Amino acid sequence: MNPAASAPVKIDVRGLTKRFGDLLVLDNISFQVARGEFLAIVGPTGCGKTTFLNCLSKLIPTSEGDIFIDGRVADPRVHNISFVFQEPTCLPWRTVRENVAYGMELKRFPAEKIRERVDTMLGLVGLSETQHLYPNQVSASMVQRITVARAFAVDPDLLLMDEPYGQLDVKLRYYLEDELVKLWQTLKATVIFVTHNIEEAVYVAERILVLSNKPTRIKAEVKVDLPRPRNLIDPAFVAIRKEVTELIRWW
Amino acid sequence: MAYEEVKVRKPLGLILLPFFSIFCFFGAWELIVRLGIVPATMLAAPSAVGNLFVEKLTNPNPDGATILVHAWVSMQEAFLGYLLALGIGLPLGLFMGWFGVVRGIARPIFELIRPIPPIAWIPLTVFWFGIGLWGKVFIIWLGGVVPCVINAFVGVRMTNPTLIQMARTYGASDWQIFKTLCVPSALPMVFGALQIALASCWTNLVAAELLAADQGLGYLITMGRRLALPDMVVLGMVSVGVMGALIGMVIDQVEKRLLAGIRR
Repeated sequence: MNPAASAPVKIDVRGLTKRFGDLLVLDNISFQVARGEFLAIVGPTGCGKTTFLNCLSKLIPTSEGDIFIDGRVADPRVHNISFVFQEPTCLPWRTVRENVAYGMELKRFPAEKIRERVDTMLGLVGLSETQHLYPNQVSASMVQRITVARAFAVDPDLLLMDEPYGQLDVKLRYYLEDELVKLWQTLKATVIFVTHNIEEAVYVAERILVLSNKPTRIKAEVKVDLPRPRNLIDPAFVAIRKEVTELIRWW
Repeated sequence: MAYEEVKVRKPLGLILLPFFSIFCFFGAWELIVRLGIVPATMLAAPSAVGNLFVEKLTNPNPDGATILVHAWVSMQEAFLGYLLALGIGLPLGLFMGWFGVVRGIARPIFELIRPIPPIAWIPLTVFWFGIGLWGKVFIIWLGGVVPCVINAFVGVRMTNPTLIQMARTYGASDWQIFKTLCVPSALPMVFGALQIALASCWTNLVAAELLAADQGLGYLITMGRRLALPDMVVLGMVSVGVMGALIGMVIDQVEKRLLAGIRR
């Protein structure tokens, strides 16, 4: 399961296994992600995607195996890992601007760099005008953009996204997906994007890993070698979408 | 600006309603006494209390001090006790909420002391501090510290776990999480504590002064009872009520300013 040979390996997951008591949730998962790659992970409902992400982000310990970033065991204190959660994680007592700065403050970036970087990010996600408002004064899509901007701002070694747009309506989702791809292309981050929406996965990713039912293994790998911006009704797009759907279906 | 805050105007009726409510309350009270439904020896009419208030502004008799002196003494005691309660109770509660070690040490002792009403401490307090200022401050402090600890503790425990996970993925330390997530999350509860503790302190103030004092609003009430002067009793009670309400309003304003993002 090696990524394109052109880019060096950034993330190396080796034999990742997670048990809760006797229950085997993740079964010996191994894969690699190249530097600057956009990887999507899809799987049937209840296949352990959240557990998988929590292991990758080191929020919970693994039972066996580990995740390596640039050859070193991943550690949130050492590596810049960002996690965009499904539910909004803006701090209600901070303004939009202060929210975007939060990750960098935790990582003790110098104040001057934080200011510059926040300005850049606010411009990229179109929040410059609303930067002094509080999260409950802006719309739901802006709230999710704040967390995406905060995640990209720390210049992450690994950016994990857990269905970040799952709670938004279709139109907004298309819009934000385009914006996400643009951010990824501009900032060249390594992204692992988890979703249950197959179309979304094909739309944003360069490569898709399909997970099996529990105990979760990697069932298949699908390359998405389509030009951007992608067209949802392009026959090649539809073909890949159908291929992934067939791989996932449990009925 | 495109994103200007929307201001909603309250209808005039709603603005006047509180004043109307207070007017009716005092009006009914005055009538009850004037019409003799309750004899004047048992309850003083608001007009009588008002007259006594004006008189007590300058006349220290028969209880030994003017109303302003009484109020000032009570204020000092209450605020000392209140500030000490905040200064000790809030940090203790906040730390208990986040740090397991502090919780392990402080919680059992706190749970034991908590059910004892502050008045039960009065005898010991007299042994320790005599009947001066600090004995009363101690009683008042006891009343105020309990809600401070509980509210700050609960406030920290209510911190959204997803926010904590988010901070963890950014590599935040325990102290950073405490400072940047737990404390701000607890603020609404902490401001609740400011109000509850104040009410508690103010209540215990009267209790403390009933026991041993020669000045203060609680003492004014005691003297009113001893001298069988219902208007003096009511004046003491009303003064306690009005001052408590005023302080509560100030705290409410401060809270609104500080919690702009959360309350809006």
